[in-house]
Formats: sequence, structure tokens, C-alpha cells
Amino acid sequence: MGREVSESCVDSLLTEMVSSYCNRLYANKPELAAPRIEAIGYQVGHQLSERYTMERPRFSDHLEAIKFICKDFWSELFKKQIDNLKTNHRGTFVLQDNKFRWLSHMSVDPSSENGSTVEDNSVAAGESKATQATSMHLYFPCGIIRGALSNLGIPCAVSADISNLPACSFVIRIKA
Amino acid sequence: MAPVGPRSGDAIFANVERVNAELFTLTYGAIVRQLLTDLEEVEEVNKQLDQMGYNIGIRLIDEFLAKSNVSRCVDFKETAEVIAKVGFKMFLGVTASVTNWDADGTCCSIVLEDNPLVDFVELPDTCQGLYYCNILSGVIRGALEMVSMKTEVTWAKDMLRGDDVFELQVKLLKQVPEEYPYKDDE
Amino acid sequence: MIVCVAVVGHQNNPLYIQSFTEADDALKLHHIVHCSLDVVDERVNNPKKSGPTLNETFLGLLYPTENYKVYGYLTNTKVKFILVTTDLDVRDADVRNFFRRFHAAYVDAVSNPFHVPDKKITSRTFAERVSNIVKSFGLSSAG
Repeated sequence: MGREVSESCVDSLLTEMVSSYCNRLYANKPELAAPRIEAIGYQVGHQLSERYTMERPRFSDHLEAIKFICKDFWSELFKKQIDNLKTNHRGTFVLQDNKFRWLSHMSVDPSSENGSTVEDNSVAAGESKATQATSMHLYFPCGIIRGALSNLGIPCAVSADISNLPACSFVIRIKA
Repeated sequence: MAPVGPRSGDAIFANVERVNAELFTLTYGAIVRQLLTDLEEVEEVNKQLDQMGYNIGIRLIDEFLAKSNVSRCVDFKETAEVIAKVGFKMFLGVTASVTNWDADGTCCSIVLEDNPLVDFVELPDTCQGLYYCNILSGVIRGALEMVSMKTEVTWAKDMLRGDDVFELQVKLLKQVPEEYPYKDDE
Repeated sequence: MIVCVAVVGHQNNPLYIQSFTEADDALKLHHIVHCSLDVVDERVNNPKKSGPTLNETFLGLLYPTENYKVYGYLTNTKVKFILVTTDLDVRDADVRNFFRRFHAAYVDAVSNPFHVPDKKITSRTFAERVSNIVKSFGLSSAG
């Protein structure tokens, strides 16, 4: 068993990282904060995929790599696997975590039922602040997934869908 | 009523939810690298890291007090010991020690030989002025401020700069007397 | 004795190459490493020809020359490791063990937040670890 830290270290760090970028460094400029939070996730995902694939044979196709993200990779990070994997067999994969840990640890305004997608950088009028904050938090795990897959030779775009809280779906679109 | 003794750092750490340190270490590293890209000036990055730590510290103190069973330490000396022995252990899983007390007991060093923040880290030559672990000094400053101790926390030794240990100098500037009757309803 | 090890990136760009000989044959060794890269590509694209299991990171003996044996390893992230040795009687287990430890050192080196992916590995810690792994080659599994 490797080294461990308390989970609240990670939670505090992520909360503060998002808050620093959204409230201090790029206040009111979510279009500048978002790609930076994503880039932090990308670097982490890139490094973690190197680490977590160390003792295993190379993946022979995209599906095998995605399954690795759903199972081993997710378990290392969240001590559980992705609950549901769907694909249209044309390069789009939807990974659903029924109770995404990094959201359940945040106080998310329950009124944000209309949901949102991280893909859409512009903040719709009337969208609650809480939903916006949640979206900002999701750029980090989206970046992690994109970084991990791209290091495995799979360039892709990743977005998150929280229209079904506390479930969270990550949508992976592989670039042809 | 006999007070319940403070719990040991080991006991608390064994009971909290824990995660792979790699995730924490790599995330912190990626934040530092991104801040360097965005802010360009190393001095600015030091400031931001300290500010982030401060914000974390003022929130983390509640969890710390609740889980550790530590009563509010009135004495700075006792407080420093508790941070080193219990605080570092329960969050980072490592133990620190307290040394170098000055004569009037208002300044000491917290020494860390093992630090999960810097696993894998090697500073490039372009970052010589960077206090990579500056978030830690901010956390301590923030947490202490919430228990009415205004402090100044600076790095005396840094393993990333070739020292043999990490050493934080904690200087008590002002101890605000607790005016609020925190527990008068008991 | 191991005379050369290398880490090679996606575009066959050398990320780390180090020779361990007294003689002034670095150029020759680099050339051997370079030539081995085609063999790696061929092995990976025609997996049935290779001895080891399908998609295994360890690629085995790439080719023997008169004086050297060249071994290869391809990570899941498509980074190549090359090992050149003058030993003629090499045990498979020793080579596998070497690559496992080498891979672990590599992963730690690229976990440095200041390392830029697909750029040269300049880490001193990595160089030291590699040097130790090279020195202990064939010793650990002897007992």
C-alpha cells in the first residue's frame, strides 16, 4: 500500500483551487478560469495514467482503454468503479458515476435541478451561482479523463453532465 | 467532569477517510505549475500559494478541533506541539517536530523530514525563488488566526533547495484575548 | 554488462540516452539504439512474430549483433525503453526485472510537475536511479 493522505486534504485543495481561479485570479471571467482548471486536471490525468498502467499489457483498442478508466483508474481515485458505461459505437462514450464523490462532498444548491453541462462556457442567464460553481469544479475531473486518455494515445473532448444529481455523467468524444 | 484527553494523531489518521497521496501530490504540483504559467512572477506564485493555504487553514481548523478532541489551546507552546504532532499527522499522515524555541516562547520551528507535497518534485533552475510548499505556511497561519493567534510563518529550510529538512519558523505576533463567551451556555 | 539504456518518445525522439562504457563508443551505441526502434515498430505491428504474449510491454530480444544484445520494452503510453548489453548469457527474468525497475523510475521522473511530456528527461534523481539499476543488473535475482 502506497502513501496516503486524508481525503479532506484533497477536498480542501480542489475547493480552494477552483475558488482561487474563479474568485481571485479570474473573477467574473469563467471563460479564462475554466481552461486553466481543465489544464491542471489534464496534467494530473496524464501523469496518473502513466502510473496506473505500469504493470499491465498495452490496450489493443479504445474500448479497452475506456474500460480501464471506468474500472481501475476510477477505483484508484474514488474507491469505486463507474456505474454505467454507454457508447454509440461511433466514438462517443458516456461514463456515469451514480454518486460522484467530488460533488457529494460539496454543498451544491439543490435548486439547480435544471442542470448544466460543462461544455457550455457561457453562463446562461438565470443559472444559479451554485450550478455555475459546480460546473467549474467539473472541469478538473474532465481534464483528468482527457489527460489520461490522451496519454494512452486517444485524443478526445470530455464534458460533464449533472442534470441528474448526485449522479454525474462524463461524455467522451474521441477525435477521429 | 474529567476532560477527555486529546486523541493521538495516529489514532485520528487511522480513522479518517484516506485517499492515495499521489492524487494529492500531483494535483498540488499541477496547480503550482499552472500558477507559474499564469502569474509568471515566482514572487506572485508564492503569494497565491500562501493565500490558498490561509483560506484552507481557516476552514480546516474546525475539522481539526472536532476530530482531535483538543480543547482550544491557550498556550502558544502547547498549540505548536499540537499542530506538529496531531495536525500534520491527521491530514498529511506525517509527523513534524517542534524545536528552536526562543527565550520568551513566542517563536519556534516546526520541522518536517517527510513531506508528501514534494514526492517526485525537482525544482527547475528557473524557479529558484519559489517556496514550493508555501501553501503549508498559509494553512498554519490561517488555522492559528481562527484560534486568536496572529502569526508570521516563514521558511527557514527547504529540502527542494538542498536543505536536509523542511523547517517552518512560526512567530507569534499577537494573541488576541478571547472575548467571546464561546461556551457560556454550558 | 549493460552498456547503454535509452528512453525514446512517440516520434522516435530520444528522451534520455546514457551509455556506461569507458570506451569512446557512444556514437556507435546511439546508432544501435536508433536501429532497434524499427524492430520495435515491427514487433508491435506484427505481434504474432514476437515470442511474448500479445501486447505485453516487454518485447524481448530485439536483435543480437556480434558484440551486443538489444532488448526492448514499450509502455502503454507508447514510450520505448531500449537496453543494450554485452552479456551473451542473459536471463530473461533479469531483463524483465530491469525494465520493471526502470519503468518505475521513469514514472516518477515524469510525475515531476515541472517535467514537460515528450521532452528530454533532465532529472538528476532519475539519472542516479538508472545508474543504480544498471549497476545491480543481474545481481538481484542471483540468490
